[in-house]
Amino acid sequence: MNFLAIFKLTIPVMMGYIPLGMAFGLLLSKLLIPWYYAFFMSVFIFAGSGQFLALTLFASQATILEIGIATFLLNLRHTFYGLSMISTFKAFSWKKHYLIFGLTDETFALLKTSEVPEENRERAYLWITFLNQCYWIIGSVVGAVLGNIVPFNYKGIEFSLTALFVVLSIELYKKNRLHKPFFVALIIGLFGMILFPPQKMLILSLCAAAFVLIVFKRSMENGK
Amino acid sequence: MESSYIIGSIIIAALATYATRIIPFLLFRTREPSPLIKYIELNMPLMIMVILVFYALKDVKWESYPYGLAEIIGVCVAIALHVKFKNALLSIFIATLTYMILIQNVF
Repeated sequence: MNFLAIFKLTIPVMMGYIPLGMAFGLLLSKLLIPWYYAFFMSVFIFAGSGQFLALTLFASQATILEIGIATFLLNLRHTFYGLSMISTFKAFSWKKHYLIFGLTDETFALLKTSEVPEENRERAYLWITFLNQCYWIIGSVVGAVLGNIVPFNYKGIEFSLTALFVVLSIELYKKNRLHKPFFVALIIGLFGMILFPPQKMLILSLCAAAFVLIVFKRSMENGK
Repeated sequence: MESSYIIGSIIIAALATYATRIIPFLLFRTREPSPLIKYIELNMPLMIMVILVFYALKDVKWESYPYGLAEIIGVCVAIALHVKFKNALLSIFIATLTYMILIQNVF
């Protein structure tokens, strides 16, 4: 897989990460935090909702311990992504630690659906993760430096991430041997969106999905 | 805001985030993946992806105007284009463009 093909794969994430990163940077500058902290946060934390949460907690003067616990709980969903990557990453060199570090919702989605031949998988995965992080860093720094100056009306462009998840769901549905998990996830996702509190929606839905997947293993594998 | 407070928080948040991502690798470091882990690895991603769609839509206000119509139309455009043309970039671009036009000019 050449660089251009890898870059093309990350374009939807770029369309989502740059405006979202800018929104994060903008919020950070509104709290009168110097712009370079936007850079450091995006380099070392690299978790969209986690960074927004940190800003909210800054504003309410939460303690450092509270910030740590809240971030851990918010990002706990990432554990499920790692769980689906164990065998793939096992064969990789020490560089896999960057892949583990950079396993956001969107990066996970791209890694899991990209069809890279095994021999250059590690390199392709590293590029995907790195490009995604670059978009996020660029967005957040631009947002923090430029503040309110917005060149054009990009309102709604973050929908590209929703569309990305939709498209990748279809791709995975076609690839997956079992189709029942798809319908179970549809039901859990729909009910989760309506019933669960927004901040806990993802982790609760993922736990429910894992529970059903494991407990009803036999009936999932029955039929198709 | 004090810089030591911000720096300390960034370090803690970075460690907490990395911890959530590395836990499964630490848990299953030594053993060969069991059949159950393999089964989870094969089927969990599809479920995660579907749930991420709903997660992306969680802040939509369904009970007030325009009742999430822009999001529903955007998602339908993405599904229809992708089933028909199987070109991920095309589906995502057109769906996003449709959504942007709808929320900027229609609703």
